[in-house]
Amino acid sequence: MPDPVAEKVIATLASVKRIPADTITLDTNLQEMGIDSLDVFSLLFELENAFKISIPDDDVRSIKTVNDIVEGVKKLLAAAPPETSMGSASPAS
Amino acid sequence: MAPRRVVITGLGVISALGLDLAANWKALCQGRPAIRPLEGVDGSRVGLKMQNAAQVRGFDPLKHFEGGKDAQLDRFAQFSVVAARQALRDSGVELTAELREQTAIICGSAVGGQSAIEAGFEDLWVNGRGRVHPLTIPKTMANAGASHIAMDLGLSGPAFTISTACSSANHAIGQAFRMVRDAEVEMALTGGAEAFFNVGMLKAWEAMRVISPDTCRPFSKDRKGMILGEGGAMMILEPLETAQARGAKIYGEVCGCGMTADAHHLTQPTVEGPARAMRAALREAGLAPEAIGYINAHGTGTPGNDPVESRAIRAVFGPHADKIGVSSTKSMHGHALGAAGALEAVATLLVLCKGTLPPTANFTERDPECDLDYIPNQARKAEVGAALSNSFAFGGLNAVVAFRAAPRGSGSP
Repeated sequence: MPDPVAEKVIATLASVKRIPADTITLDTNLQEMGIDSLDVFSLLFELENAFKISIPDDDVRSIKTVNDIVEGVKKLLAAAPPETSMGSASPAS
Repeated sequence: MAPRRVVITGLGVISALGLDLAANWKALCQGRPAIRPLEGVDGSRVGLKMQNAAQVRGFDPLKHFEGGKDAQLDRFAQFSVVAARQALRDSGVELTAELREQTAIICGSAVGGQSAIEAGFEDLWVNGRGRVHPLTIPKTMANAGASHIAMDLGLSGPAFTISTACSSANHAIGQAFRMVRDAEVEMALTGGAEAFFNVGMLKAWEAMRVISPDTCRPFSKDRKGMILGEGGAMMILEPLETAQARGAKIYGEVCGCGMTADAHHLTQPTVEGPARAMRAALREAGLAPEAIGYINAHGTGTPGNDPVESRAIRAVFGPHADKIGVSSTKSMHGHALGAAGALEAVATLLVLCKGTLPPTANFTERDPECDLDYIPNQARKAEVGAALSNSFAFGGLNAVVAFRAAPRGSGSP
C-alpha cells in the first residue's frame, strides 16, 4: 500500500541528491548513498517545508536510514498539527 | 637568493563572452560585446530599471557538479571551481602530494554569495517563511570559492579570499605573485569570481546612478556608465624555472603589482592614487615606462572614471602615453566586480602571447577629456613586450598588475 509520507521523503531525498527516486528504498543507508551532513541539512529543510513540521536537532542525530526519517516525520506529524505558514517560532529549531 | 620569476601556465575563464578560454579570446579578438537584455531577474515588482547586462549564458551547473553538489555552491563559487579546473587542466601540472601542500589559492570576490543570502532573506521577509535554507551561510561566505577549489582539486596550501570591491582579483593576483616569487609556495591558483545578478544587488547598483541605460562605452564622449557583468577567471602561477623544466607552455610573466589607496573619497577616484599604483607596478617589475605597449584600463565607462584614469596614465607615461594601446574590455564582458581583474588579465595575456590588442567596443565619439589611443572597436595586431592591467575600486583601493611576455624560447600557448 502506498505510503504518502515515505513517497514524499524519498522524492525529496532524490531531489536533493539529484538521483532517480527509484534508486532509493526505505532500507537505504544515508551514509552509504553518499549523504553528508550538508545534504542532511538541506534534506531536513525541504522536509520541514514539505510537511510543515519542525524537526528538533536531537532527532536528527539518530537518523541512519530512509526509514528513520519516515518514522521521525510520522511521529512529528502525529504529535502536533502542522505549523502555520510562518513556521516554528522556536529559536532552537 | 634572487627572487624567482613567476609565469602563468594555465588559464580558465567563464564570462559573458563564453565558457572557456578559446571562446573568450575569440570574442575579444572580434571586439564582440556580450551585453544583452537582462535575463532571469524579475525586478518589475520593485521598479528595477536596468535593461542590459553582461550575463553568463549557457552555464549548466549540473554538467560540472554531481550528486546535488551544485546546490551547495552559490553561482560565484561554481564559477570559481569550474575556472580553476580549466586552469589546472590547461597548465598540464601533475599534482604530487608535496605540490598539493605547497600550492596557494588566492581568490578575489567583491560580494561573494550575495544571491544565496538574498534568497534566504526573501524567504524570511517576503515569503513569510520561518526558516532560511541551512546552507545560506556557507554559500554566502566570500571565501566559499577558495574553499571549494581547495576541496575540489585537493590543494591544501595557504588559501584565502581578498575582497577589495572592483580591485579584488588584481589584489589576489598580486598577492599570489609575491607568494610564488618569494618561495612561500611552489605554485598558486589565483583569480576572481563574481555572480550577483539578484534584485537586491541590482537595485543597490542602480541607486548609485552609475549604470548605463543601454551599453558600456568606455572613454567615448557619449558614455553613460557601466554595464554589470559576472564570471570567473583563474590562472596557474609557477616559477619560471619549474615551468621551463617541465616544458610547459607559458602565457606570460607576472612581474609586478602596485597597490595604493586614494585616501580621499568612497566613490570619486583621484589621479594620484591610480598613478602611484601604476608607478609601483612598474617599479616592482623593473620596467621602464617606455617598455609598456598595452594597458587594459579599468575603464568602467562612467563619466567619473574614464577622464581621471586617462590623466593618471598620462601622468605616469608622459609623451609615451600616446604610443600605448589602451582598451577597456569591460565594453565587452561588462564589469564583473571582484572578477574584473582576472577577466582582464586573460585579455592582457591575449596581447602578450598572441599579439592581438582587444579593442574598446561601442566607441562612438572622442572625448577631449580622454585623449589616449583607446583602440576603438577593432582589435589591432602589435608586438607588445609588457603590459599593465588596471583595477580601481570603490573605496579608493587601487591595484595594478604588470605582465611581461614569456621569455623567448618558452613553449607558446
